[in-house]
Amino acid sequence: MTTAIETADVIVIGAGVAGLSTAMQLAKRGQKVVVVERERLGNGSTGRAAGLLGQLRGTEAHTAMLMDGVEVVKELEREADVEIFIQTGSLRIAETPDRAQEIKDLVAMGKSIDFNIDHVSREQVAEMLPYMKTDDLIDACFCPTDGHLQPAELVSAYVTVGKAHGVIFHNNLPVEKILVEGGRVKGVRTARGEFHAAVVVNAGGPWSYLVAELADQKLATAALGHYYLATRPDPDHVVDRLSPAIRNRHHRIYARPDAGGLLVGMYEAEPVEYDVEDLPVDFDMSTMKAARDDFNVALLIHSAQQRYPWINERTPMTITHGIMTFTPDGKPFCGAMSDVAGLFHCAGFSGHGIVQSPTIGVIMADLILNGSTKYDIEAIEADRFFDIPGYQTRPEVKEKCRNMFASYYGRVEGKTATASNS
Amino acid sequence: MKILVPTKRVPDTELKIRLTADGSGVDEAQLSYIVNPFDAIALEEAIRMREGAHPDAEIIVVGIGGADYEKQLRTGLAMGADRALHVGSEESLDPWNAAQLLLAVVRRESPDLVLLGKQAVDDDANQTGQFLAALLDWPQATFASKIEFAEDAVRVDRETDLGIETVQVRLPAVITADLRLNEPRYASLPSIMKARKKPIEEISAADLGVTLEPRVRVVGFEIASAERTCRKVATADELIECLRNEAKVL
Repeated sequence: MTTAIETADVIVIGAGVAGLSTAMQLAKRGQKVVVVERERLGNGSTGRAAGLLGQLRGTEAHTAMLMDGVEVVKELEREADVEIFIQTGSLRIAETPDRAQEIKDLVAMGKSIDFNIDHVSREQVAEMLPYMKTDDLIDACFCPTDGHLQPAELVSAYVTVGKAHGVIFHNNLPVEKILVEGGRVKGVRTARGEFHAAVVVNAGGPWSYLVAELADQKLATAALGHYYLATRPDPDHVVDRLSPAIRNRHHRIYARPDAGGLLVGMYEAEPVEYDVEDLPVDFDMSTMKAARDDFNVALLIHSAQQRYPWINERTPMTITHGIMTFTPDGKPFCGAMSDVAGLFHCAGFSGHGIVQSPTIGVIMADLILNGSTKYDIEAIEADRFFDIPGYQTRPEVKEKCRNMFASYYGRVEGKTATASNS
Repeated sequence: MKILVPTKRVPDTELKIRLTADGSGVDEAQLSYIVNPFDAIALEEAIRMREGAHPDAEIIVVGIGGADYEKQLRTGLAMGADRALHVGSEESLDPWNAAQLLLAVVRRESPDLVLLGKQAVDDDANQTGQFLAALLDWPQATFASKIEFAEDAVRVDRETDLGIETVQVRLPAVITADLRLNEPRYASLPSIMKARKKPIEEISAADLGVTLEPRVRVVGFEIASAERTCRKVATADELIECLRNEAKVL
């Protein structure tokens, strides 16, 4: 075997929040961790994320995971001395009877597990968000403990604390091959040489399905485009930095305060698809730019305008355009598959990587070091589509991921729905 | 009121630019183009004139370049131009020849105002508007950061190194746009739809009766060194020391 230029306990491929959180947690438990990143730290989907944190989800397991994440973040804030979590509270608003029913179900579910959430009146919403149109609302609910995580600060904290525990970072170093011998992972090969470790973590985000292919595995992720706008501060429409985030499924938008302006993002019905293998080898996601006549941007502005009538195509704003990694069921892949021992996946966060990353790092470290975790991870196991017909070829996977994205805000959740993703 | 907005398409400034192996030009294989940002500002200003003092204004966006220029012209139409003129040209033109072509377009269209970017961000020549005004013998107001109509004249604030200079020019005139003139819009859904039906007229230099005679020859390109090193300094004195003795800028 070729001599390794570096030997570690764990090699993490990808320095987005998933990889950085995993690396930090492993290092805290005494592991020697090397992170190899194709571009630069936190510059993929992580660098384009809005970071909305809505803790109450369709299942108790998922809600518990997100609530624990807040505690992890609070500890990180102390350790790295940065402000990551902005607790603005969050509102879900409904203007149609079926969306109102969703809110009713959600509040009932929340109360059943003692989660702090309740209905609020239209007048209360108008008072909290004077810059938002409220006259058409028929119901809303408010969760005071929600908010958002600031992605850049979160990255900085993971890196700072990771470094303090010995994590080594390599930028601009794409992995060319995952080394497997006798069904066990041995390390990775890069342009600078081989890195050897008994455990390799694929935290490749949009590139995760290509990384899996380097070990002849299939990961059912797809790279889909996402856009949000951020208005500049406007004295006529003051957006307080602590005004609650909103989710407005009817218009397929979410919004939160951002640097004195308002950030509005959209899950449109027809996302733009990317074949990551066709992007330049040194593709830098921060350079993605929307043309002035980009259809999805026009759609985003149009939808934002329905809720915020003062926003239009002439409003001074910046458009952020990035790539998300979706999976067929909107849940990430966390864990190993049976055919290669030591190769773990940690990708496919479907627009929720920032907020899931704090607990995901703990779960990944649990799985890698102990083979088990206290968390209920059935829904996010990496091999759940292994060998299942209809999830094998790239076209099949892409179509299912696209449908998941499209139904993400579009689908109306029924009372019987078991996996709400709002 | 007829407003002509000449545009140039330039490589997306945020992408990594690669050169051809022999260094004779920019590798176009992985290049993506955008409308020169200053020209987009000029177009936005023309649209605002139509939305303001001149509701009857006709806005014509002009592009000089290869066959695949249509995408950028369509963007201009979606933002609000009424029609587009594509002057086919495969080679990259120097400002003098661009101005010659634009001179012929102006003769053909007889606009009251030519509004274009102060410079293109690819070669930063900052000459085309000035050449065109001289060739037309029209007044020019360059580096405009504010444009106001006053009777049959236009009052323009110009950003100079000494401050804001206000000039007044009679129409017809050539005005070049600076960065702070406005912030270009994104197209709305209806205008994107409408733009698909707006006409793009194809025309060649020969049609315009112009013989191109390059005056500037590009000898070669090289990528400026992108190597940067960062170092933390402990005190302001140390910073001054570095600036004086290492960077030698003090």
